[in-house]
Amino acid sequence: MIEHFTKGLFKENPIFIIVLGLCPTLAVSTQVVNALGMGAGVIFVLLGSNFFVSLLRNFIPEKIRIPSYIVIIASFVTMVDLFMQAYAPTLSKNLGVFVQLIVVNCIILGRAEAFAKNHTVSESVLDALGMGIGFTLGLLLISLIREVLGAGTITLFPFGNFDGVIRIPVIYNAPIRVIGLATGALLVIGYLKGFFDWMAIRKKKREIEKRVSAVKV
Amino acid sequence: MKGIVVTGAKLFLICAIAASVLGFVNAVTEPVIRQRKIRELKEALESLIPEGEVGKLVKVENNDVVKGYYPVKKDGKLFAYILDLRGNGYGGELKILAGFKGNGEIVNVKLMDNEETPGLGKKAEKPEYMKKFIGTGGTKPVPVRKDMLSRKDADAVTGASITFMGIANALAEGSEFAKKLGGKS
Repeated sequence: MIEHFTKGLFKENPIFIIVLGLCPTLAVSTQVVNALGMGAGVIFVLLGSNFFVSLLRNFIPEKIRIPSYIVIIASFVTMVDLFMQAYAPTLSKNLGVFVQLIVVNCIILGRAEAFAKNHTVSESVLDALGMGIGFTLGLLLISLIREVLGAGTITLFPFGNFDGVIRIPVIYNAPIRVIGLATGALLVIGYLKGFFDWMAIRKKKREIEKRVSAVKV
Repeated sequence: MKGIVVTGAKLFLICAIAASVLGFVNAVTEPVIRQRKIRELKEALESLIPEGEVGKLVKVENNDVVKGYYPVKKDGKLFAYILDLRGNGYGGELKILAGFKGNGEIVNVKLMDNEETPGLGKKAEKPEYMKKFIGTGGTKPVPVRKDMLSRKDADAVTGASITFMGIANALAEGSEFAKKLGGKS
């Protein structure tokens, strides 16, 4: 049961392994605070859509499943958008059009179609949490690298006297601007994916070696 | 036949429930959003020219860039105008509020609603971004090309040239408009 949750974090990470939702990933991974906001929005929408798609899996006829899923997803996205505009205006301004674009984020429709429609409600909720958190973690990692190298800052939420921006000495005065642009996003995602693939292959090799040596003994 | 009716009815039911839930959420959030927008506009107008008193909006017809202006008074005399401008950004329309003196000189600028890319064009929302425009428009021309900026300012707009051009062109147009108003309310 618990593996429905943990698989989304690393083994089937939506960004690095399934390679879904790259469009918003490229767009909002310029600042850490945007990654957090986008992640929270995606987790909420994913939870709502997976819950209802799974709950209604015997009610929704096969023929109209895609329009039904889109209606459910769009409703949750609109809710997130309205609540953000009303109660988190700065975040809503920063994320701009990408909140509305969660509707067509392939992670959400992908999980509804590939998982929630033939699993129980509790399994689907766990899957949504895992995938959502996995997406957020991936987004955080990319945005951290891009913001530190590309702007020399780490932008978090402002509170008290702290304006929410950590400035990193040296890099702040001479940032590598290309990392902050779309090209940099592709480069960073490519290198990270290469790194994770290398780790996965190495792990597999070790397992095989272990088995081989066990057979020899 | 029966299958189609049942399928249609189910889809209708899903849509109807979704629509009513959204209607409820909208009813809750709409007044909050509207009040926030009014408050933001008021704060923006006051922060643009803090020493002046902002008057009522005068609407402008048949102008693609200038949608209206607020006369600003200081000690009972007309001091400046705040123009409600529209520019073309990378992600669509830019809403800009800018204060001009009667000779077309830019006093202060603020980027309001926009759909620019976070981390690139969105940076124009920061007050530092607008410093390169302040003081231009009167004797100095408004910088509408990157080569009219200092090296440091040009670096800062790199990656978001279209946002810069959109704001700059709207401001240049606004400056001309303020000159035509020429100190009259």
